[in-house]
Amino acid sequence: MDIYELSARDIALGVRDKKFSAVEAFDSCLSRLSACEGKIAALITRTAERGREQAKAIDALIAKKEDVGPLGGVPTVLKDNMCARGIRTTAGSRILGDWEPPYSATVWDLLQNAGATLLGKANMDEFAMGNTTGTSAFGPTANPCDITRVPGGSSGGSAAAVSAGYSPFALGSDTGGSIRQPASYCGIYGFKPTYGLVSRYGLIAYGSSLDQIGPFARDMEDLALVMSVLARHDPKDSTSVPGKNFDFTLKEGAVKGKKIALVKDFKDFTLDSPIADAMKRVSDILEKEGALITEVSLPTVARYAVACYYAIAASEAHTNLARYDGVRYGYRVSDEGMNLKESFEKVRSEGFGVEVKSRIIAGTCLTEPVRSEEYYVAATRVRTLIASEFTLAFKGADCILQPVTPSLPEKIGFVDDDATKGYESDLYTLPVNMAGLPGLSFFTGYAADSGLPVGLQLVGPRWSDATLLNIGFELQKILGRPKIANGGI
Amino acid sequence: MKLAEDEVRAIADEARLSLTGEELAKAVRYMNNFLDMVDRFKELDLKSVEPFCFAEATECPLRDDVPAAFDNIREILTDRVEGDSLFRVPRIVGEA
Repeated sequence: MDIYELSARDIALGVRDKKFSAVEAFDSCLSRLSACEGKIAALITRTAERGREQAKAIDALIAKKEDVGPLGGVPTVLKDNMCARGIRTTAGSRILGDWEPPYSATVWDLLQNAGATLLGKANMDEFAMGNTTGTSAFGPTANPCDITRVPGGSSGGSAAAVSAGYSPFALGSDTGGSIRQPASYCGIYGFKPTYGLVSRYGLIAYGSSLDQIGPFARDMEDLALVMSVLARHDPKDSTSVPGKNFDFTLKEGAVKGKKIALVKDFKDFTLDSPIADAMKRVSDILEKEGALITEVSLPTVARYAVACYYAIAASEAHTNLARYDGVRYGYRVSDEGMNLKESFEKVRSEGFGVEVKSRIIAGTCLTEPVRSEEYYVAATRVRTLIASEFTLAFKGADCILQPVTPSLPEKIGFVDDDATKGYESDLYTLPVNMAGLPGLSFFTGYAADSGLPVGLQLVGPRWSDATLLNIGFELQKILGRPKIANGGI
Repeated sequence: MKLAEDEVRAIADEARLSLTGEELAKAVRYMNNFLDMVDRFKELDLKSVEPFCFAEATECPLRDDVPAAFDNIREILTDRVEGDSLFRVPRIVGEA
């Protein structure tokens, strides 16, 4: 077995026990990356030189018998909307040009302190707006399980990197499903923590009340290990909640006695048959393992969540993206002979892609004084109803089992003429962000006909993160772990 | 149609975006579909519903206002400083 095929835990252990060096681990992952990247295009920027220097530093510490942290020598990938000091960070957009942030996101500081080494920055939908990674200014990423299909998005590069074996774990961000959906499409695990559990400092903002950083991994143990590193209060993020210290050590017997709910109001929606089959199979497994399968009602979520989410996300995006004017950093144009407004317009019109411009226009429209009460303020009130509905549902259930998406990944290049119709496919993921809940996307197996991976989702009340991971761990024992995707080679 | 071309152009202008004719036609279609989607809110009686706020917002303490060393000013300026520590900015003097 090559080093790149190992879990993060086994790489860290191997490095600590000197079975192989951190440099050897890094080079093994880098070789895998080099072999597949021509087909997958998961990364925007490779950081081979810097990552190998980090690995050398880990080996030097080990030679001195010093502690290298729980991820000592484990290569990883960051979604390219997380700042890493001195490394080009693009958010999948032209508008940041070759900007190199002068500071690092707190999550990257935490990973570095835990010993992780950086392979590169991952491709993503521009400013995280999309669910295919196809809106990236750097071109699409392919799904390593079937390179003719999308990997999902917006964190498609991170998911593809883990699925193809570049690194055993990666970080993504999830504003409306952007970790959970690509995890499902690429046949791995992805976790969106409770809003406020993991710092967002240094994450390039899209929808600030919805954005949340979280990990991808090829097994539940690695997912929990990375969460144990990331879950820290950060005074630099005003939405980071203090006093939430969780034990992410996975424990046996998490399913027995749990009330696990199916959503009554989702029953009439059509699912691809492998997903419907997986729902039945996993529900049966949970029942057999001692869970009580029950039902909850989420009628407001089912009818209004998509509209509510896009109204809020577009409004927040329009505000967050107002800062990109070409003056302080990023893409710049020659402004000779232009007035200030023309200069701003040229930078923004050339720098942003179609989807981002559409959402900025929508956000500007919904927050204009003449329309804001009717749309933006109304959306914030609908959001209250949605969050309340979840609170009520969790009085009768420990967590909810539901799909991640209604269908398996589309072919690359598929475009619906009405973009807002494509938004409907996010129904199962985005309500989780609206209520700030944790959501686990877990691997259930491969579809019999297409061989594509099939994922499902567990959603819990706020701060039930450890419970979800423990249930996922139990399910993994029965459902099995995913294999590393062939990556088109 | 809820929004006509000139209205969408005015909104884009407010967002400091200039659109080509093709982009504008697409934006009009997109915006009208978007407004159809969010018009669902009108089915609900929202008068007595408060706008959403995370309960934990009140649990997130503000940092103490303590001066701290700032060690990377030079790096922050690197991206835009030209010549002798000067920022180059678009012309604004004389703008309406």
